[in-house]
Amino acid sequence: MVPVTAYLILAAVLFGVGALGVLISRNLIILFMSVELMLNAANLALIAFARAVNVVDGQVVVFLVLTVAAAEAAVGLSMIVTIVRNRETINVDRLNLLKW
Amino acid sequence: MIPVQPEVGVAFWMLAFVIIMSGAMVVSLRNIFHCALCLIICLSAVAGIFILLEAEFLAAAQVLIYVGAVSILIIFAVMLTSNLAVQKIVQTNENALVAFVICLVFMGGTCALVDATHVWRYTAEALPANNTLEIGRQLMTDYMLPFEVVSILLIAALIGAIMLAREEKT
Amino acid sequence: MTTAAPIIDLNLMIPEIFLFLWACLVFTYDLVTKRKSGNAVAWLALAGPVLTGILTVVMFSAGFYGYGKAAGAMFEVDPMAVFFKIIFLGAAFFAIGSSFGLLKNRIVNHRGEFFGLILLSTVGMLFLAASREMISLYVGLELTTIPLFVLAAFFKDDRLSVEAGIKYLIIGALSSALLLYGMSFLYGLGGTTDIWQWKLEVARIAGKGEGVGVILTLSVITILAGLGFKLALPPFHQWAPDVYQGAPTPVAAFLSVGSKAAGLVAFAKLMIGGMVAFWDPVMIPNDWGILTAILAASAMIVGNVVAVRQSNIKRMMAYSSIAQAGYIMVGMVALNDFCLSSVAFYMFAYMFANMGAFAVIALIEDATGSCEISTYAGLSRTSPALAVTMTVFLLSLTGIPPLAGFMAKYYVFAAAIQSAGASPTFGFLYWLVGVGLVTSVVALYYYANIIKQMYFHDRPSTSPITFDAPMVMVLAVALCGVVVFGLFPEPVLQFARQIPPPYELFQH
Repeated sequence: MVPVTAYLILAAVLFGVGALGVLISRNLIILFMSVELMLNAANLALIAFARAVNVVDGQVVVFLVLTVAAAEAAVGLSMIVTIVRNRETINVDRLNLLKW
Repeated sequence: MIPVQPEVGVAFWMLAFVIIMSGAMVVSLRNIFHCALCLIICLSAVAGIFILLEAEFLAAAQVLIYVGAVSILIIFAVMLTSNLAVQKIVQTNENALVAFVICLVFMGGTCALVDATHVWRYTAEALPANNTLEIGRQLMTDYMLPFEVVSILLIAALIGAIMLAREEKT
Repeated sequence: MTTAAPIIDLNLMIPEIFLFLWACLVFTYDLVTKRKSGNAVAWLALAGPVLTGILTVVMFSAGFYGYGKAAGAMFEVDPMAVFFKIIFLGAAFFAIGSSFGLLKNRIVNHRGEFFGLILLSTVGMLFLAASREMISLYVGLELTTIPLFVLAAFFKDDRLSVEAGIKYLIIGALSSALLLYGMSFLYGLGGTTDIWQWKLEVARIAGKGEGVGVILTLSVITILAGLGFKLALPPFHQWAPDVYQGAPTPVAAFLSVGSKAAGLVAFAKLMIGGMVAFWDPVMIPNDWGILTAILAASAMIVGNVVAVRQSNIKRMMAYSSIAQAGYIMVGMVALNDFCLSSVAFYMFAYMFANMGAFAVIALIEDATGSCEISTYAGLSRTSPALAVTMTVFLLSLTGIPPLAGFMAKYYVFAAAIQSAGASPTFGFLYWLVGVGLVTSVVALYYYANIIKQMYFHDRPSTSPITFDAPMVMVLAVALCGVVVFGLFPEPVLQFARQIPPPYELFQH
């Protein structure tokens, strides 16, 4: 038996792993991947809730979120192409999200 | 509680293990290319979880969009910055310890709370058998507006991405 | 299981649809003129927000457009939506109007894309202002920000600009992930995506034992973190100065007003619209009001104190806008009848002063290529009119009477004090207003520093600045707004007071 709470806990742990990556990572691409993990955790929670409530609108929400994520990734890649074309590095050490 | 067959439980725990391990590897490995591969594994396992939750259409969309498109874009980005793919990267910075503690507290807290709360509106009925059909219907009726707005968003992202990635003639 | 297709009342979406079509027109025009159109495409884009505003007013008075709901219950035109739509259209007008200088040398190719993306971002803001449901709110917010990522990185050969774009992209994605995770809990509690249903559900279960309260707290923390990144409230503010500095100046201006107002609308809808019932300090001690008050206080302190040390004026304005967001949040946590109207009026007054100041910064940057504060030395000798204009904008941002910024600060603080006096549980608002007043003095210091540079330096560092027609128009409109709405705020305030009080948001 898998209760809905198990799915929610899985989502929470995945979200925490992603947040950890965001907080400790120095590399921009890793940062982006960690954000994708967090977004997937949110999607997981939404679908688990949709299953618990027994409606499909949570799935519609996740479908739209996936679309938005793809658009975001496309824009991100085009920026990395621009950076590479300018022959610069993308190890943005200064991107320290929690610096005061 | 959702009534499920026992094999679903086994599948869930295996997928959960894969998701958490590969997720942890994404944020801890030192080779960025390996991180990207772990991300693909993680996202595929999430698609598996979607199937367990009877969201087959979303599982397919997850594989197509996330595994097929987003991860490939990320791998492109890794390859473009090829010196990074070989080079070992440092995955930690000065607030690593603090961040680790914050995240552990957050995860532990969340798990405890989610487990302790029984306020979610559970129903024991099954979802409509063909819920892909239902998703399609809702997208065209109730969720027409966000569907249209998302299409505007795709136009904007497309124009922006092409504009940025285009080589300029001087 | 058949659901009838909801009748989409297109009349209510006229501003959104018109502006979207206009953006397509801008893209197409730039394409068919083979990019040799000169400034014409910019004029065309400038007409977009103006015509949308005029069209809306005309349709409104003709009865084709009014308050009401469309597309099921997803889209609602209410006084708050209309008020913020005016702010968004105004911000787009000012941003486009101050971009003409960039066309000379910085933006040679892709002019249509630059202006078209500003318009598309505005379309997203308009949809966001009218959304009353989780997913249309999320999608509207994303349509607002994704074009802004591209706009921030628009100077492709400029390292700072591309870096700004990619930082903003990561922060935007992070912010939406946090927001979505927080909203997923509300979705689970309410069983629907409708914010009004969330409010009913939260009100029903908020007192039902510690477990629910903690789930709500979790949801509040993640949503606040997500919106904190959007609004650049410390400790989530680190991206703002870098992005403002790297982005093209009109885009930075658009970020500081348009994107901030979008974040405020999302805040009002989610926290006040959806979780107002979770704002009961007697029942639940760690509710969102206290957390928001802490964020507001840290924004006022960090923004104002760090702004003093900046030598680049765009970074200084970034910190100043962080501080201004703090003042706005003071009005937001007051949560009485005046709270949303004072916030809306603050944003309205802030739009004129801030867009005006950024227009001057853009003008000076185009003329000298520099954003250092020392560039402004002796500006009163070479361009006295410009110096006076800038002084008025800065004084309004400081909150000196009789300018609009003073009235805005007055109403926000008055709302907070009224609320604090009405109920002892709001007593912490006295402290918050105190912090606001003290930090305003600090703000006076760094704004006055620029005025001092402009007036009390004998050796001018610039030659006289020349204006083009759109810049004159932008500065004149902003100046009129700052002065007129400072002296006669009553008509705007009357309109703002139509915004329903917090407990009645989304009700009708």
